[in-house]
Amino acid sequence: MGLVALGAALAIGLACIGPGVGQGLAAAKALEGMARQPEVAGMLRTNMILAFAFMESLAIYGLLLAFLLYAKL
Amino acid sequence: MTEFLEKVGLTSQMFTSIIITIVLCVLAIIAGKRIQTIPSGFQNIVEMSIEKLYGFFEGVMGKYLCKKYFPLIATFFIYILFSNYIGLLPAAGHVPGLAAPTSTVNCTAAMALVAFIAMIGIGIYEHHGLGYFKHWFEPFVFLFPLMVLEDLVKPVSLTLRLYGNVFGEETVATAFFNMVPIGLPVIMQLLAVLMSLIQAFVFALLAAIYITEACPEEEHL
Repeated sequence: MGLVALGAALAIGLACIGPGVGQGLAAAKALEGMARQPEVAGMLRTNMILAFAFMESLAIYGLLLAFLLYAKL
Repeated sequence: MTEFLEKVGLTSQMFTSIIITIVLCVLAIIAGKRIQTIPSGFQNIVEMSIEKLYGFFEGVMGKYLCKKYFPLIATFFIYILFSNYIGLLPAAGHVPGLAAPTSTVNCTAAMALVAFIAMIGIGIYEHHGLGYFKHWFEPFVFLFPLMVLEDLVKPVSLTLRLYGNVFGEETVATAFFNMVPIGLPVIMQLLAVLMSLIQAFVFALLAAIYITEACPEEEHL
């Protein structure tokens, strides 16, 4: 019982670390690019959101596992 | 309301998705009934939003593919947008029969399957035959299992991304509501307004990119 709760918390907590760092790096680079070349800002924004979607899905897998474990409690 | 729905064999999500479908159909019929060269009123709004969407996807898919397959992509976008926003209506969580259709895995899996089958079908059609499957054996033959896996993972990740986002957001909003009923949930709802749009956008964009990747380069069409 207690271990399942711990597992659920760890599942979402650990799954958020990687995408958090990755999205931060991606956003930093994209903003840098936008500041350097404002004329391509629209294209950069689209690609940034697309990259976010891929990274975010990793966190979402962790979230779903956390929900699955939470349902077991 | 819930008993009635259960008697007919409908879940709350099915009920809302039927309502959304009917509303969208009626809106489309009203907008397209008397098309004028110089648009006014409602036709103006619809035309402007569709044109903006078309312009964006033209940049992603290229002129030829966008002209052919824009209806499918735009349908995904508009349907998901309406589905996500219906969960934001006041008391959506409390009134049975008012849940976002995208907050169940069935709805998103169905849409992802349609996108997947469209991807393969369009790929075969645009390659004029089974040449489409050649990309599974490129650049090396022994990468075959990896390439097949890459294709098969696409619908799964489309499903889980949309479902996880909408469902997770609703669950977090409920948890906030249980902690502090006044004020705190508003933050989550504000975030949800943005997230719903982005998720609809991401699903349509990924579907468009998958279809574009399945087709040969523009010069060869």
